[in-house]
Amino acid sequence: MSDAVITVKNLNKTFGKTAAVEHLSFTVKADTCFGFLGPNGAGKTTVMKILYGKTVRDNNENCSVDVFGYDPADNELAIKSLSGVVQQEDNLDDELNVIENLTLYAKLYGLDRKTANKRIEYLLDFLELSAKSKSRIKELSGGNKRRLVIARALLNNPKLLILDEPTTGLDPQIRHLIWDKLYYLKKLGTTILLTTHYMEEAFQICDEVLIMNKGREIMCDNPQNLLKKHVEQFVLEVNSPELLIAPDKEELLKEIRIEKAEQTTRIYSNDNEKLKALAAKLEGSQYYLRQANLEDVFLRATGRRLDEKQ
Amino acid sequence: MRSSNPSIPSLSQRLYGVWYRHFKVYTSNLFSNALPPFLEPLLFLAGVGLGLSKYVTQTMEGLAYIEFLGTGLLMTSAMFTASFECTFGTFIRLEFEKVYDSMLASPLTVNNLIIGEILWAASKGFFFSFAVLCILAIFGIISLPHSLLVPFVGFITGAMFSTLALLVTSFVKTINHFNFYFTGVLSPMFFFSGVVFPVSDLPAKIRPLAELFPLTHSVRIARAVCINQYSANLLWDFLYIVIFIAVVGYFAVVRLRKRMIS
Repeated sequence: MSDAVITVKNLNKTFGKTAAVEHLSFTVKADTCFGFLGPNGAGKTTVMKILYGKTVRDNNENCSVDVFGYDPADNELAIKSLSGVVQQEDNLDDELNVIENLTLYAKLYGLDRKTANKRIEYLLDFLELSAKSKSRIKELSGGNKRRLVIARALLNNPKLLILDEPTTGLDPQIRHLIWDKLYYLKKLGTTILLTTHYMEEAFQICDEVLIMNKGREIMCDNPQNLLKKHVEQFVLEVNSPELLIAPDKEELLKEIRIEKAEQTTRIYSNDNEKLKALAAKLEGSQYYLRQANLEDVFLRATGRRLDEKQ
Repeated sequence: MRSSNPSIPSLSQRLYGVWYRHFKVYTSNLFSNALPPFLEPLLFLAGVGLGLSKYVTQTMEGLAYIEFLGTGLLMTSAMFTASFECTFGTFIRLEFEKVYDSMLASPLTVNNLIIGEILWAASKGFFFSFAVLCILAIFGIISLPHSLLVPFVGFITGAMFSTLALLVTSFVKTINHFNFYFTGVLSPMFFFSGVVFPVSDLPAKIRPLAELFPLTHSVRIARAVCINQYSANLLWDFLYIVIFIAVVGYFAVVRLRKRMIS
């Protein structure tokens, strides 16, 4: 018996003439956190929506989508009953207050009143919203709204939690609080699928990250491997590359890689000392020497220029 | 692997969930939502009773004018409330509040959602014609208890107009377009469906058109219920309503699905 919760093979989706997702395949194992990383318009949200039946995939022969053994094309209800979905927008019901929002969704999930009340009380406490239970939605801050949307997605005790940019636009405190909760849920055996722009988020909570761009997979691995395989260990960022000490060029070029963007030049190398030597003449404010992170992998993979979809 | 038996809510639970959402929103402003349905017929009847009925002395289909008009208003109130609910109401939920987007992430299908809308609009039709019934009964314009059945006619009238409103909504791109529907379709229906004067008084050439109007059939049934006189012809009116709901409802679901699922 395999322990895959989601198996997607050769997924395609076109809107009119635009291909949103092309030949995408991936597998999400039970009790892990799988992250989609990609610029705006990469097709991340489309993939999420296909999984729970909000978007219908293209009808290709070799394509298959399997979530808990069900195909969203013909059994969306089974999948939605087993999953919790946090969509990108905080689409709470403005005409109801906090607790009414949760009560409504408890009904939609078919919970009886007693179970619902218990679950709501627990979730308000879990997401630190108990003090807000009677508040109107318009009175809530962005962080409160997000947490309420997450609470709503957890009402049915989902085996799979799908989160589309759960922490975008939130302050660091709330972001860390949400990460903590996601860790905890994963420990309890919830499989998590999320999309994000935050490299740190992907690095910290994902067991596996799929970087996509323009509807296609660029790379997929665990975060540590992505770093190891696709980018040098250190980066020197400078705004005025002409001030750098220029040693013997030939030899230097063997060990560094230079990326020029409009304002900033980034010099990548596995040899920290070499980068230090390069920057020796610069003052502290003129350069930034740091460890490479997932963002460098990401930008290297998806390019630094914007395309029209972003 | 097909894992962990999902506990999918039953169809009735799902439809009730949608209905409950609207009920909850409606009743959370109970005073401002539930008072007007009683005031409106009161104003209308006061206007007619104090002024107009002095001049309209003829009976219409055997009824005094205020009885004739009153029994018609039972249905127009159901028509208007269901129409508002499923045009402006549905459009706002669909495009501005994005209520449906999040509901569709819970175990609901688009069909469940739209049928839930129809059931809710029908319930409002029931309630609004009940409100008119109360006013008519208080002023002794219609007699009880047989008239108590009339809110059920309001229910099917609400369902019928909600399907039409949903179909219109499926075409509408900006909310202002609904003005055409209200002025161009519902207002004529108000005047030419046997509410204000009998259909039989229409010129012979136009009369068949009145039979096409859904409201004509509702009004005919409602009036029969109020005076407690039924004829076999009413079965045709009933059949019209059932077919209308099925056919228009079907197209409304098909078209709205395209707007909700990409």
